[in-house]
Amino acid sequence: MEDKVEKFEEEGRRKFLRLFGGAIGGGGVAIAANALLPAAAAVEAPAKAAVPPIPNYDWSKHHWAFGVDATKCIGCLRCVEACKVENNVSKDPHHFRTWVERYVTLEGEEKARVDSQHDPVNIAAAGGEGKYRFANRYKDAKVDKAFFVPKLCNHCTHPACVQVCPTGATYKTADGAVVIDHTYCIGCQYCVQACPYGARFFNEEKGVTDKCTWCYHRITKGLNPACVEVCPVSARVFGDRNDKQSPISIFLRDNRVTVLKPETGNAPNVFYVGIDKEVS
Amino acid sequence: MPKHIVRLVLLLVTAGVLAYAGKQFLTVDSFYRFGHYRGNSVADIASDRPKFRTPETCKECHAAKYTEWSKGVHNNPAVGKVVKCEVCHGAAGGRDKNPNSDISSIGTDHPNKLKLDIPSDTVKLCTLCHEQMTGRPKEQKQIVVATHAGDQQCKTCHNVHSPRTFVGALTSTSRPGNAAAGKAISADCAECHGKAGVSDDVNIPSLAGQNETYLADAIKAYKKGARKDALMTGAAKDLSDSAAENLAAYYASLQCKSAQNGEPKLVAKGQVLAQKCVSCHGESGVSPQAMWPSLAGLSKDYLVSSLKSYKAERKNNLMNKIAKDLNDADSAALASFYANASCR
Repeated sequence: MEDKVEKFEEEGRRKFLRLFGGAIGGGGVAIAANALLPAAAAVEAPAKAAVPPIPNYDWSKHHWAFGVDATKCIGCLRCVEACKVENNVSKDPHHFRTWVERYVTLEGEEKARVDSQHDPVNIAAAGGEGKYRFANRYKDAKVDKAFFVPKLCNHCTHPACVQVCPTGATYKTADGAVVIDHTYCIGCQYCVQACPYGARFFNEEKGVTDKCTWCYHRITKGLNPACVEVCPVSARVFGDRNDKQSPISIFLRDNRVTVLKPETGNAPNVFYVGIDKEVS
Repeated sequence: MPKHIVRLVLLLVTAGVLAYAGKQFLTVDSFYRFGHYRGNSVADIASDRPKFRTPETCKECHAAKYTEWSKGVHNNPAVGKVVKCEVCHGAAGGRDKNPNSDISSIGTDHPNKLKLDIPSDTVKLCTLCHEQMTGRPKEQKQIVVATHAGDQQCKTCHNVHSPRTFVGALTSTSRPGNAAAGKAISADCAECHGKAGVSDDVNIPSLAGQNETYLADAIKAYKKGARKDALMTGAAKDLSDSAAENLAAYYASLQCKSAQNGEPKLVAKGQVLAQKCVSCHGESGVSPQAMWPSLAGLSKDYLVSSLKSYKAERKNNLMNKIAKDLNDADSAALASFYANASCR
């Protein structure tokens, strides 16, 4: 009886090793193969010497950047609306690729009050979701300081969101835009968590993450991003840093600029003028 | 070599080959072409069609409107203030369905299918930028609607495409009135307003040389009851619209004569106060805007009583607000300045 049991256990162990040992070994080889592949591809890539087939556009010749002059912003929210129209972003005020924040410090208060177009009071003032307007909610208040700050994806030089993407669905283009390949996005939202600026959102309808592309389909055709196109006061500036006479080159030359949360090491490419210490 | 080692090696090699084949088979060609992503997706993203088409596109069909806009304050690149067509009218372009992108919709383009919005509520539209609001930079022109225009639409006075141009100015050249026909029916008017439109009575305004649009509007306002006066209400009651236009054309064509009955020592003060009136009534009281009256050369007494009426019963959102802030001395000074000004 005891012999039989021992024999049975012996058989079981062998079976186990045969099955799972093989699986583990195979897995190891697969991982090794994976690790080797990018290196092999990197060698192949220059041989193809290709740029993406975009008509009349060579991405190696451009270096895009964005500027925001918060001292000019009037909070009309035309940029928010234009972005939604241009990029088919859901019209409700809770999904947005770009947005505008209002910072208001009341007399006797330490911290600024911050609101944006998705604040219920502002939705009510606009006359419902799908319209965008800041409510004149501080007109009778004693205000120490108030200003508007347009925000969007910073298209960082070292984007944390790209680093965490498990499928290679989001990446930085050679000319500087951080974009999403929606056919490869699996909707895991790691990138939404990783972005220190809250610039990404999840499109529940399509099950993919979405974000500002600097209107990549426009800038590759020589147009400005939609938000820059409609800004009535030139608070938003866009251009090619390789072109020394472009609006952004002039903007960077003429102003002392700052970026948001430099301590995160993402190295943003949206440069701000006229923001206060509490803006991040 | 022991049998179990051979088996293990074989197993590892098979698994490795399978994994590599699987990877080759399942990874699309363009992956790793430019980096750790699908290379074809770059051109896919770039292939979307822009919806906002810039004013240059609008210009192709709307050349007149484009010129009007491009010369106005809403196109002032020197100070960075450029309100393009699509800011108010919406995007002119649609987008074709892109099979490779999830972001797509059925495209419709203006003018083929898509009609662009012509905003009807200009108060709602213009206040997006011009409502007085905490946080807006001082350089931005801002108004409190209630005191600026009451419940009037912005487009009542402002040409929306070039807001510093005022609406009446555009229609001045195309009035339907006939001066000769006006002269024929002017006998009744002459009893009070003078033979050639120059009144002898300081309490009754001269009409000669006045803006035609303003005159026609004034007669119609008396007729409708929007403006009230014991004599004029009765006089205008029986005039047809075309008679009103003809009379306006006749009096506008006459030579004006300045009343010169202002108090000389008040003129200088009046001139300073009149700086506020310039945009509607002109630099020296000769109005550049057809819908508003020239004040130069009208009698001092008439001007003072007009200002008084704006303080009281006479309705005009702009003038009510202006008159409210003027005391009697200011009114007298202003009236003196305009009364002594040359009407030409």
